[in-house]
Formats: sequence, C-alpha cells, structure tokens
Amino acid sequence: MTNTEKNICSIIIGEEIKYENNSSEVDIDFKIQNDHIFGKIDILKSSKKFLINLSNVKDKKFNLELEISLNENSFLELRDESDYEHGSDINIRSTMNKNSIFEFFRLNKFKDSTKNTFNHNIELALNCEFRDFNFSNGSNEMDNKTTVLLNEENASYIGSGVMISNSTNSNNDLSIKHLSKSAKSDCSFKTVSRGNSNIKFSGKVFVDHDCSKTISNQISKGLIMDEFAKISLIPKLEINNDDVVCAHGAASGKPDESVIFYLKSRGIPQNEAEKIYVEGFLGEFLDKIPNAEMQEKAMKYISANC
Amino acid sequence: MLDIKNLNVSVEDKQILRDLSLKVGSGEVHAIMGPNGSGKSTIAHTLAGNPNYEIISGDVNFNEKDLLEMDPSERSLSGLFLAFQYPIELPGVTNASYLKQIVNVHRKHRGENPIEAGDFLKLLKEKSSILNIPMDMHSRFVNAGFSGGEKKKNEVLQLDLLNPNLVIMDETDSGLDVDALKSTSEAVNQLRSSNRSFIIITHYLRLLEYIEPDFVHVFQDGSIVESGDKSLANRIDKEGYA
Ligand SMILES: Nc1ncnc2c1ncn2[C@@H]1O[C@H](COP(=O)(O)OP(=O)(O)OP(=O)(O)O)[C@@H](O)[C@H]1O
Ligand SMILES: [Mg+2]
Repeated sequence: MTNTEKNICSIIIGEEIKYENNSSEVDIDFKIQNDHIFGKIDILKSSKKFLINLSNVKDKKFNLELEISLNENSFLELRDESDYEHGSDINIRSTMNKNSIFEFFRLNKFKDSTKNTFNHNIELALNCEFRDFNFSNGSNEMDNKTTVLLNEENASYIGSGVMISNSTNSNNDLSIKHLSKSAKSDCSFKTVSRGNSNIKFSGKVFVDHDCSKTISNQISKGLIMDEFAKISLIPKLEINNDDVVCAHGAASGKPDESVIFYLKSRGIPQNEAEKIYVEGFLGEFLDKIPNAEMQEKAMKYISANC
Repeated sequence: MLDIKNLNVSVEDKQILRDLSLKVGSGEVHAIMGPNGSGKSTIAHTLAGNPNYEIISGDVNFNEKDLLEMDPSERSLSGLFLAFQYPIELPGVTNASYLKQIVNVHRKHRGENPIEAGDFLKLLKEKSSILNIPMDMHSRFVNAGFSGGEKKKNEVLQLDLLNPNLVIMDETDSGLDVDALKSTSEAVNQLRSSNRSFIIITHYLRLLEYIEPDFVHVFQDGSIVESGDKSLANRIDKEGYA
C-alpha cells in the first residue's frame, strides 16, 4: 500500500497538542489536564488505511492516557518514532471490533537516566489482527507491559520486540490470553545487553479450556556482550486444551566466538565484526514486519543503536 | 613469503603442532597431506590467528612481518586468506551484504572508496558465474542452510574477491562435486601468479591433478615427516600413510 492510498494524520504533543483531522472517518480528541495528556482515537470506518504518526516534542516528562478503538473492518497503522528525553508514562487501552487490523510501530530512543513505563491492554474480536513492533534502547528504569486478549475466533497477534541497551534495568512483560478457539499468536523478543544492563523478558501464554485449534509461537533470544550485563528470559505457559500447536524457545548467551573470528579472518576489525554479528542477530525477524518502509526504518534503528 | 620456524601450538592444553618448520616462496604451491587429526587445520587456524590456538613457541614471518603479532583482521588485510574446512554460518546477514562488506574493508585498507552498488553487482555476477554459483544464493544468510558444496564454493568466491597473496585452502575439495571441483580448480589456476602462493590441504590426489603443486608435504603428529614433489602424492594415494 503506498502512502497515497492511506489517510495520513499527525498528532504532535508538546506544550500544546497539534493535530489536523480532515477525515470524517476518524474521531481524534486530545486534551491536557495537569500535565497529563488524555487522548482518544476512534477509527469509525476506514475506506482507506489510516496512518497516524504520534510524536512527542515535550521538554518534560511525557504522561499519556490513550484510548483507541477500531470499528468493524477498519485498518489503523499507528507510529511513534519519538525520543523520550525526560521519561514517560504511557497507558493505552485498545479495543478492536471484528475484522479490524491494527499495526503499531514504536521505534523510540530513551535517555539512560530516565524512568519510562508503558502499558498496553488490547482486546481483539472476531478475525482481528494486531501487529505489534517495538524497538527500544532501554533506560535506567523501564517497565513495558502488553496484555493481549484474543477474545474471539481467528483473532491473531504478531509481535516482535527488540531491545538494545548499555545501562538499562528493564522489565518487559508480554501476556497473551487465548480466550476463544482458532486464535493465533506469534511473538519474538530479541535483546542485546551491554555494560551493566539487566534485561528481563517474561512471555506468558494462557490458553483457555475451550480454545481448540490454537496456534502459539514464542521465541526469545538474548546476547550478553559484557561481563556485568544480564538477561533473563522467562517463558510461562498455561495451556488448558489439547488441540494446541505451540512452539516456545528461550536462549541467551555470549556472541559465538567462531563467528567473530570468521569475520575477522576476512579483514573486518573486532568492533565492526561484533556490530555485524549483533545486527544479524537482531535482524533475523525483521521480515515479519509487514511493510517495506518500516522494515527499512527498523534496520536503520538497529544499525544506529548497536 | 612465509617462513614458519619451530612452531609449537596447543589447543585446550593439548599440544598439536610440534616443531613445525615450513618455507613458502612467492608463487609456490605447497600441498599438505596427512591423516585425520594430524594437525593440518591447526596450522591453517594458527596462521589465520584463531585465538583458540595457543602458541607455545616458534616464529612465523609473513612478507617481512611477524605474523604471530598481528590481529586476524590485520593478517587478512596484509594478504593472507584462509578458506575454511568448515565455513561458519552468520544468520541475519545476507551473503551479498557480507561479501560487499569484506570487499570494502579491503578497499578501505588500500585507501580506495567503497565500491559502487552497480559495480559490486557486476563483479559478483562475474565471479559467481565462474564458480557456477546462482545469484539467488547471495540473498540468503551467509552459509546458513547452504549445502556442503555451496559453502566451499562460497569460500572460493571470497578468495577470488579479496585477491590475497597467501592462500590457505583447508580441504576445499571435500564436498565438491566433480564439476565444481573442476571449476574451482580452474578459478584457482587463474589466480596462480608469481606473487601469489598457495598452501593446499587435501586428502585427495584428484585436486592435485588439476592444481599442480610444486611441493608435497606429509604431515603426521603435528609436523612434516616427509617432503617431495607431486610423485609423493601419487605414492600416498596408492600406499596410504602407513
Ligand atoms: N578445540 C579443541 N579441543 C580439543 N582438541 C582439539 C580442538 N581442536 C582440535 N583438536 C584436536 O587437535 C588435533 C588436530 O586437529 P586438526 O583439526 O588440526 O586435524 P586435521 O589434520 O585437520 O584433521 P582432518 O583431516 O580430519 O581435518 C585433533 O586430535 C583434534 O581432536
Ligand atoms: Mg582439518
């Protein structure tokens, strides 16, 4: 889909909030109260895909409460490519009505010394698809939590998270609840821990009793680059139905020295060899990103941050 | 070109190379044959600078430089190339982007600008066709899922792209089919010149029938036990090492 086939809208949040909405198919409403931003995005219907760029230009901590709803058959692509220099506290509740698609891209840079929390709670109805891609460099204190409720048949979640960090202490929680049959979830988390970073990922998958024909994949992989860097990857599965196809894996470790040596034996110096290795490690799942423009941006993000 | 003197090397505290000495002059082709586990790959990796191989004692002089003092990447930039017996997989990086990066790091070392995308594609097409490598192999991740023979061809392709002056080929022939062995040997023969030397590690006479060696060495228990010309390879092929 090219940009001319999209309805494009930007929401810029600073001391005041600027947005322009010339489509009757969406209802956007943002206001500020006591330094907190309350926002609402309702996709009423979409004859074309909606692309909404959300950006933060505040020079203070960013606090946002956001409600998103997608009506039947609508398609929203939401992007946030902001830098969060002063910390953030973001809470999002999303509701997807049947046959809707929601693509959510977050490619953010955070400042080490700040505290950042992110909470997203999303409910999916019949045949809905939620595609969630998140790229982050972590910060000293960081909590990310996404809860996906696959409420109705054929609801599907595909998600990919990448975190590259030098000095973060971060908890990343993903909880996927299969609450109806024939729902799918596919999640990958990749992280590179440097310096004294401590990165945790917990991936919970719950499959309810009557959820036959469930498909659920989860993979998490971590690279530990320095002596004091830590990673813990914790998959938690609770599966209450036998008719389920599940594949889950978690692995973390140091870079493979034989690969680094191979690259060096071709003339590539140590630091560049490590960079190529790390980029390859993080780039492995980029083909899951459904659009070429965002794939390219993700690749650039990885290259600039590792 | 290369002068190895009384080299002793251990791996995981186990001594493998014992008092190895070998001189390779400019333009010469040396073949090394020897039983499994005798230490042939150990020489190859030691020369390339693999940090798992510990030098106990000895000297290696490469083009008037102390090779053992050099970082593996410096060795490559100074013209040494090892075609691995077991090429390494690099997931997430396409072969094309990898090959371009190794070409560019050598160009940078020579003070040249990075190669233009179009020129690189042309070069890659030309070199790949000599080795019968299909272009779609380059959009796959480096060596990941390549067949044994494809991995070996990819090693020869890298050799051909980097123009080294000392080439060590560690059982490059193992795993190649008859046609590939022929095209690979032809590519190597094209590269033979008065300022490029080869050390060819192999178990088979067949390769040495395509690439005529100037010297053949028999390797056993970590050092050279016999040296001769090509007729030595003929004898080993008939009689074995016993
Ligand atoms: N990492 C290691 N740890 C322990 N022993 C090792 C290690 N690497 C090599 N060796 C041992 O060193 C010896 C020499 O190995 P090398 O690979 O040099 O043999 P080779 O002559 O190349 O054999 P082949 O013809 O089978 O390729 C072998 O006994 C091998 O088991
Ligand atoms: Mg060997």
